[in-house]
Amino acid sequence: MMALPLRSLSRGFASAAKGEHGGAGARTWRLLTFMLALPSVAVCTLNSWLHAGQHQRPEFVPYRHLRIRTKPYSWGDGNHTLFHNPHVNPLPTGYEH
Amino acid sequence: MTHQMHAYHMVNPSPWPLTGALSALLITSGLMMWFHSNSIFLLVLGLITNILTMFQWWRDIIREGTFQGHHTPIVQKGLRYGMILFIISEVLFFTGFFWAFYHSSLVPTTELGGYWPPAGIKPLNPLEVPLLNTAVLLASGVSVTWAHHSILEKDRINAIQALIVTISLGLYFTLLQIMEYYESPFTIADSVYGSTFFMATGFHGFHVIIGSSFLFICLMRQLKFHFTSNHHFGFEAAAWYWHFVDVVWLFLYVSIYWWGS
Repeated sequence: MMALPLRSLSRGFASAAKGEHGGAGARTWRLLTFMLALPSVAVCTLNSWLHAGQHQRPEFVPYRHLRIRTKPYSWGDGNHTLFHNPHVNPLPTGYEH
Repeated sequence: MTHQMHAYHMVNPSPWPLTGALSALLITSGLMMWFHSNSIFLLVLGLITNILTMFQWWRDIIREGTFQGHHTPIVQKGLRYGMILFIISEVLFFTGFFWAFYHSSLVPTTELGGYWPPAGIKPLNPLEVPLLNTAVLLASGVSVTWAHHSILEKDRINAIQALIVTISLGLYFTLLQIMEYYESPFTIADSVYGSTFFMATGFHGFHVIIGSSFLFICLMRQLKFHFTSNHHFGFEAAAWYWHFVDVVWLFLYVSIYWWGS
């Protein structure tokens, strides 16, 4: 059985993403990290925080397909989801405050 | 003194496969006790034995490979096959959740209003935090490649720096997702939308935590001089796993966050 050419994989995904770089070394990838990747993260961070603001809380409509409770949860009073946020998550009976 | 006349690794007897299997039994039965009999004892016992097994088993592998020289090229090839097959199995695992998502969203039932997102669901804006999360994971893919090349070029300081950047980005992603989970106006109980959303993104987040932990172990090993420029498979396995986690996110972003809104 021919052995799989796994040696090429030991070089990692060096030539994947961001196009071909031929013999791109550590210096190139460090440059990409600090000049492209991290600034993009910074821009997206700024964009997110600028758009954060106070979102309008949707009006409560007692839809039957939402806030499903077929069995009580195994924590708390059994009626709150794990990441329950009283400000934006209504219970089956409506918002808590 | 007799020596083995082949390059394979005849592993010494080990208790960890048994303790691992027992921990799996304790975890599964523990979950049943928690869900149906209001007791978390078995579950906690299972989680503790599971963590102990992982710690000791992988510690032994590091001892066998790095300190005792058992990981010859052919042994390493087997480890590569193993990691690849494992990642393939994980791809199939996520395929199930994506199947559930597309099944539910392509033909929305009348109970949901006949449309997707269902009535009463206000999906997250894909151009806010989800886009940031995409940038974070893509950036971490670049930095882990920087780390790899640094290891190949015997650049210790850069390898350490790059690993720190990668792990920090992983942590940033996790914190952002936790915040998103808390701020989200819809919950897991909100129709099949909530179920598919939180099952898919939840398991993904769990895998991000696993991947970040794996990379953290690599950082510790790099600090302790375990890796050489031509033998660092533990790192490569972590990097492959990390790329896999990134790709799953890209599918999640396009399918659930973007198309699904």
